[in-house]
Amino acid sequence: MSLTARDYAFSLAAPAVCTGAAFLLSPLLTLTDLAMIYLVGSMAVALRGRRGPALLSSLLGVLCFDYFFVPPRFTLHVDHPQYVVTFAVMCTVALLTTHLAVRVGAQAEAAKRAEIVAETEKLRSSLLSAVSHELRTPLTAIIGSASALLRNPAAGGGLLENIRDEAERLARLIHNLVETTRLESGAALKKEPHSIEEIIGTALERCGKLLGGRKVETDLPENLPLVPLDPVLMELVFINLIENAARHAPAASLEISARERMDALEVSVADDGPGLRPEDSSRVFEKFYRAGGAPGGMGLGLAICKAVIEAHGGEIRAENRAGNGVAFRFTLPRGAR
Amino acid sequence: MPSVLVVDDERAIQRFLRPALEEHGFRVIEASSGRMALELCAAKKPDIILLDLTLPDIDGLDVLRRIREWSSAPVIVVSARGEESDKIAGLDQGADDYLTKPFSIEELLARVRVGLRHAERAAKDPEPVYVHGDLKIDLGARRVWLSKTEVRLSPLQYTLLAALARNAGRVVAQKQLLRELWPDGGGGPEALRILVHQTRHRIEKEPVRPRHLKTEPAVGYRLEEPDV
Repeated sequence: MSLTARDYAFSLAAPAVCTGAAFLLSPLLTLTDLAMIYLVGSMAVALRGRRGPALLSSLLGVLCFDYFFVPPRFTLHVDHPQYVVTFAVMCTVALLTTHLAVRVGAQAEAAKRAEIVAETEKLRSSLLSAVSHELRTPLTAIIGSASALLRNPAAGGGLLENIRDEAERLARLIHNLVETTRLESGAALKKEPHSIEEIIGTALERCGKLLGGRKVETDLPENLPLVPLDPVLMELVFINLIENAARHAPAASLEISARERMDALEVSVADDGPGLRPEDSSRVFEKFYRAGGAPGGMGLGLAICKAVIEAHGGEIRAENRAGNGVAFRFTLPRGAR
Repeated sequence: MPSVLVVDDERAIQRFLRPALEEHGFRVIEASSGRMALELCAAKKPDIILLDLTLPDIDGLDVLRRIREWSSAPVIVVSARGEESDKIAGLDQGADDYLTKPFSIEELLARVRVGLRHAERAAKDPEPVYVHGDLKIDLGARRVWLSKTEVRLSPLQYTLLAALARNAGRVVAQKQLLRELWPDGGGGPEALRILVHQTRHRIEKEPVRPRHLKTEPAVGYRLEEPDV
């Protein structure tokens, strides 16, 4: 931490304020009591935990006290040696207070760091176990299918398709992980005005095989405004929502729509599958939460959606639709234009 | 038989590319480093080059620059997702197209086919008419049809389509499109996105799932390979 001009401003202001107060109170108090006022001032500066400014402040306090109040007044001359003791006490108290304040501050900081490290460790280990489980599943399928094919090349297309699909799942997973890391490392979003229709289009294209023959209906007015967004991350939101629908509502059809609101774009990705259980609806966006013990997935997809939408200043929620199925709705602020 | 120089230091990639390309009638030359790529490029004069940008010795973009000093053979750069700036730099330095790892054989073959056709056509006259599904663009007459109905386009919308049709099947970088559309520097990426949006609503039956005018995220746009 560096010393700032602010710290020194404080160390200059404190003796000035104390002198003012001492002048006001001098008809009522004895000289030793006035020294206490300066003591309070230099302690206040010392509590900020900066040695230099604290020392400066207490020295200035002593000088002011000497100059303005110690007889003969308005000189730096001291008549009685007892005041030298007062000056020494003032300086010592200020130094001790600074020392204590610095130590307490350092301890608090160390405790905070330790807590962050522990939290990161916890997150990292749960991420690691979720990821390694999630990587092993498709890898097992790939290795198994490939060795079956090596033994019996006539075993056929099902195994080959299995290999391709599982490898694609791995690719999506890695993409998710890379982008999560980017998001969590606090890297700035690459926001530019984009057409949501175009983003939905590239997401649908990338999800082609995942969607299979599933019906996808889109309802996007032609005159939707461009909105500031990070195209890669926003595409990832749609990919994750589509993958989520494909997993939890395997036979369902998909509906993607967007509407222009006052100061935001409102987007909805809905399916007509089994919908959410009540206990899931508030938790689906939690990391590593897998709704209803559904197969596959590691509960990262929707957590990423939430993180991305919130990084854009929007909100996302999941709710069951009136008929059946679930709708994920989110907003994207249009930003200052 | 056209020859393909495959530059990649990963054995696993070479192992699957060779049989896939040979099956489709290509002769495959393999290079596992940048230096080897430059040597083989000079010695064997391949018809098309597949260049991975991550090489053990020389930076892939440097290899590309040195190849371009004396060869005009089409170069397709290969790089991973998330390395969009590499792809843009590659296109800037004379690459013809790019492939994103992981890619499918179909994508690879389509890129190679388009690359070879453009190299061949560069020697001859440009194809005056582009046809893909229900879309037809007559570059000579400056007219566009969708399912036999003529489409009215603004001059800017037509310029966009024509620029993409002249490079049919190939990606056209955003920067290049901006130069062609607004030579005096009037437009920008935002204006281009709006223009693409409007054009899609004229020439696509389902603009959100375009069949002709595709987006190459973060890089540019591509008009699909024309029907043969």
